[in-house]
Amino acid sequence: MDGFSYINIFDTKGIEYLIVIGFLVLFIPFWRALNKPVKARARYREAMGVLTPELLRIPQGLHYCKSHMWTHLKKSGYAHVGLNDLFLQLIGEIELENFKNPGERVKKGDLIAKVSQGSKELTIPSPISGVITDVNTDLRKTPGLLNDDPYGRGWIYSIKPNDWNNDTHNCVTSEKAKEWSENELHRFKDFVANSMKKHSPEDAMIVLQEGGQLIKYPLAGMPEEIWKDFQESFLGH
Amino acid sequence: MSNPDIALTKEQGSKSTWKFLLGELKPRGKYFTPFNVISVPVIILGLVIIVIRFAKGLGAVTNLSQEVPWGLWIGFDVVTGVAFAGGAYVITFLVYILNMKKYQSIVRVTVLNGFLAYVFYAGALLLDLGKPWNVVNPIIGNSFGVSSVLFLVAWHFLLYMLAQLIEFSPAVAEWLGARRARKILAGMTIGAVIFGITLSTLHQSGLGALYLMAKEKIHPLWYSEFIPILFFVSSIFAGLSMVIFEGSISYKVFSSQISEKNHKSHHDIINGLAKICTITLYVYLFLQVLAFVHSKNWAYLNTRMGHWYLVEMIGFIIVPMVLFFYSYRKYNILLVKIASIITMLGVIINRLNVTVIGFKWDAAQHYYPSWKEIVVTLTVIFIEIWIFRWIINRMPVLRESPSWAKSH
Repeated sequence: MDGFSYINIFDTKGIEYLIVIGFLVLFIPFWRALNKPVKARARYREAMGVLTPELLRIPQGLHYCKSHMWTHLKKSGYAHVGLNDLFLQLIGEIELENFKNPGERVKKGDLIAKVSQGSKELTIPSPISGVITDVNTDLRKTPGLLNDDPYGRGWIYSIKPNDWNNDTHNCVTSEKAKEWSENELHRFKDFVANSMKKHSPEDAMIVLQEGGQLIKYPLAGMPEEIWKDFQESFLGH
Repeated sequence: MSNPDIALTKEQGSKSTWKFLLGELKPRGKYFTPFNVISVPVIILGLVIIVIRFAKGLGAVTNLSQEVPWGLWIGFDVVTGVAFAGGAYVITFLVYILNMKKYQSIVRVTVLNGFLAYVFYAGALLLDLGKPWNVVNPIIGNSFGVSSVLFLVAWHFLLYMLAQLIEFSPAVAEWLGARRARKILAGMTIGAVIFGITLSTLHQSGLGALYLMAKEKIHPLWYSEFIPILFFVSSIFAGLSMVIFEGSISYKVFSSQISEKNHKSHHDIINGLAKICTITLYVYLFLQVLAFVHSKNWAYLNTRMGHWYLVEMIGFIIVPMVLFFYSYRKYNILLVKIASIITMLGVIINRLNVTVIGFKWDAAQHYYPSWKEIVVTLTVIFIEIWIFRWIINRMPVLRESPSWAKSH
């Protein structure tokens, strides 16, 4: 073993080199994990800034009514009602004003709430008839719930229905709801094109990106006249 | 506190600039807010202490001595304050150099914050100087002292404050309704930004370099030749954590001034910053480990200071890094804010470890800041917040610029 000598790993800075290499190697999985595409739809929607049917939240077991309200009958016999995701994705963040208080009776089609963005507003008809039993006061404290969790903590009223079957036979559920939402989105594109042409032809391009994709919250950027048209065409009154 | 209904910017030709300025000096909003009730007595007490300090000298109010000439005012106000002000150069770099428009809406408020931080925290340096009037010497050339790191720090502070003032000045011009001036000042922005970033990278590390000269005095776990680089890298996440933290408070307090569009992008911005913090914390951890091994500090690990060192490394670097990582992936804004607070605590601990706690750690007499030093430090912070609030309530910082300024 003549001539053989141990190399001092400290003196040759061997450990330091190993650490540098180690951190660089570790950086690869670190970077990949940090930048892995997130499956969550909300994130994708944020990133892309476009609104497509695949991105809409349409949970099963709810009734989706033509006026863009959803309703869900609980085991307790009370039904929650709220705004559907498609509507919220078209309009963006809104302020909600309740018209009804607990104890009041409503008929299907009665106006129960108003949503507004600045001076623009839309009124919301009740999807079912019955007696209001509760109003979601959390929405006043955290208005973001409406958009973040439209079918859960973003419910608007709890109603004790008096003619559930009759009121909801026009509403759609599960797979049909998906199909209906897609059609509504297409209908909205046509609506935008027509309505824009009517009111402000020069702005018609702001809503549709290349390839005819809708940008997110397209209604938010549109003038009041178009909101009025939207009220008639989509909220049914 | 804020009243958005009052006319916000001077309309040209409506009244003389002096009358307008006098009117703007009047306080707005409620007098008895919790913040005012706490801060006013502290500020009054602090100003009294500052008067005593200048009348009777440093010994009258501080626990500083010949042995420990630098204490809380340098360690916290100057060294830590400047690290927190690092957000300004990072954000301007992202927006003006990398063209990441997403962060555009927070440029002004961050630059304003950085500017005020430099004016006040570097200004606090004057309190610590035995002969404060000599501070102009390295500037006017009454013996430049070019061989001192302080020469670099002094010039950089001065130039960087000017650069930030130029970066912020279009907001002042908009407030005064000075259209021509705004055009000229806005044209200077990009130059000031590039100049400012260069200066920042140099003096953030320069502050660390000050401590290279105190090799014998600093505990080996915190002393290394890498201090300048460590200070620079940590100023990135220190500044950004401050932006997240301060932005979240401004977002609530001045909510009425923020446009709907910027309201919506607020969460996106915070989440984006969380990602940058994750990466820089990773790099910083790597550098810390390398510095540790390079200095062969194994023997110190199982001592009291060693445990404290591990608390800093694990609790205030690895933990916030993992939190930032997780919250960025999950888009959990609350968690990002928590991580930013832990990070800020970590930066404070790190700077104090270098400048106060680990400084002369083996001396018989330990330095602890006197209550008067702490009150003065709080006074400096509170006055800065008062001025910050005054400006936010008057100039277009968070709110949109007046329409005439946008078309340019």
